[in-house]
Amino acid sequence: MLPQRMKKAITDNPKKLANLIDLVNLPSTLREFMGQSQTSRLGCFMRVWSYIKENNLQDPNNKNVVNCDEKLKTVLLGKPQIELAELPMLVKLHFSKASK
Amino acid sequence: MGKIPPSFKGSQFPKSTLLKTPQSPSQTPLLTQKPQHFLKKIPNKRPSKSQPTPHPPPPPPSLTFTTPLLSDAKSLFNSLITATTTNKHTIPSDPRFFNSILQSYSAISSPHDSISLLNHMIKTHPPFCPNKSTFHIFLSQSCKSPDPTLSTVHQALNLMTSHGFPPDKIAADIAVRSLCSADRAEHAIELIKELSLKNCSPDTYTYNFLTKYLCKNRTVSAVNGFIRDMREFCNIKPNLVTYTIMIDNVCNGKNLREATRLLGVLAEEGFKPDCYVYNTIMKGHCMLSQGGEVLSVFKKMQEDGVEPDMVTYNTLIYGLSKAGRVKQAKSFLNVMAEMGHFPDAVTYTSLMNGMCREGNAVGAMALLEEMEAKGCSPNSCSYNTLLHGLSKERLLDKAIELFGLMKAGGMELETGSYGTFLRALCKKGKVAEAYEVFDYAVESKSLNEVAAYTTLETTLKWLLKAKEQGLVV
Repeated sequence: MLPQRMKKAITDNPKKLANLIDLVNLPSTLREFMGQSQTSRLGCFMRVWSYIKENNLQDPNNKNVVNCDEKLKTVLLGKPQIELAELPMLVKLHFSKASK
Repeated sequence: MGKIPPSFKGSQFPKSTLLKTPQSPSQTPLLTQKPQHFLKKIPNKRPSKSQPTPHPPPPPPSLTFTTPLLSDAKSLFNSLITATTTNKHTIPSDPRFFNSILQSYSAISSPHDSISLLNHMIKTHPPFCPNKSTFHIFLSQSCKSPDPTLSTVHQALNLMTSHGFPPDKIAADIAVRSLCSADRAEHAIELIKELSLKNCSPDTYTYNFLTKYLCKNRTVSAVNGFIRDMREFCNIKPNLVTYTIMIDNVCNGKNLREATRLLGVLAEEGFKPDCYVYNTIMKGHCMLSQGGEVLSVFKKMQEDGVEPDMVTYNTLIYGLSKAGRVKQAKSFLNVMAEMGHFPDAVTYTSLMNGMCREGNAVGAMALLEEMEAKGCSPNSCSYNTLLHGLSKERLLDKAIELFGLMKAGGMELETGSYGTFLRALCKKGKVAEAYEVFDYAVESKSLNEVAAYTTLETTLKWLLKAKEQGLVV
């Protein structure tokens, strides 16, 4: 049910899709983390998520929680610990600002 | 065979891929014709390059043209001739060798240039005598060239006539197919009308090919107009295959009224509906979830003494399951086995689909075991159906177990089951697992990143909101 609704939402609202996949000039904090000056919101999310996986930052007791290292803190508002569920929103924060 | 519909909700999947099975009957009659076409075509259009090898020192197998320039092509051909004569190689006398040269040149040049090259070849190498296939190369090339009129096609046909090959059925077939592949169906119809005035009407294969093309790409009224025109101008009547194609087309568009009309016309013409026609009609009713109608078509079939085939049973079981008559559908499992058609993965998946719709995912799991016990291995559709069903009923442990099996088998996830599974996981607070599923969906290329991520993002957004409101732990 949802996928159809979503497909419709995407086709109805191309802007939403654009703000997910369009390349954006990054603020300096993100630039350091990504090693790129431009990326899309989706690309940024994938990078952060793979960084978490590569460095085993998920809490061993509760996989839903990520213990941020210094580098990750720079992009995620300096929080020492975040929930995985928040991740897309936290990444989005950088981008909604950029688009304004 | 097919895939599992993205969702179980009746109206949600107008073009269920499961329906591919029922569709196949109408294609089968066409398939049986096709080989004939290929038999005609292969010698024409694909002059085999390996043919020259029997000659002691193998001559250069073919020329490769890098530019569409005529002068370059000519000099390339000249160098081939001189090289072989100085080395005392023999150029194969087989016209197929020359045809292959022309074929490869025509792929990159304009029709006019290819004809010039042909003239040049005849002049510089008189032993070469163009045959029918040579002209078929030009014909198909001229049909594919962008041209608002049919003049280049006429040119090619005139060239054929002047070389002693007046257009025949094969030429008509090649022209129609090439024109259709260039999306010039209107021109194809025009050409057929012209040719039939010259006493060269297309054969039934060409006719059915064109009908099928029109069905796929034009409106129903355009198809009916074409059939009428053909009857009036060319005196070609549709046969049973034509009707099957047309019925299939209107059934896909859920236009059952037109399908019924066609059935009437078909009977008036003195045709007796065969298994394929019935399967197609049955599929139409399946699309509208008309379980009773599906059954009555099956009964009518038996009354008319038409032997149901595997596709009939699969359609029947699919239709009944979809309409919520799983019990009845299940009873046909034995019937079909008695008739010598053993239920396959499609049959079982249809049934599982029906059970999941009823909210009986546990029963569907039992059916999976039963099917495996009978030596029928489930495909990715079966697993996706089950995953969807289990997730929907929040039988999460079983769903996770099933997902493990799918992962081990490298099976693709479908949008529907992916979304439902993801939501079920998040609902139980298994966000990390949801991320794993997301990773798998992207890795296995079941979904593209954007679709997979959008679903994940929406689900997590919903989860945070629900948490705020204290709805989820």
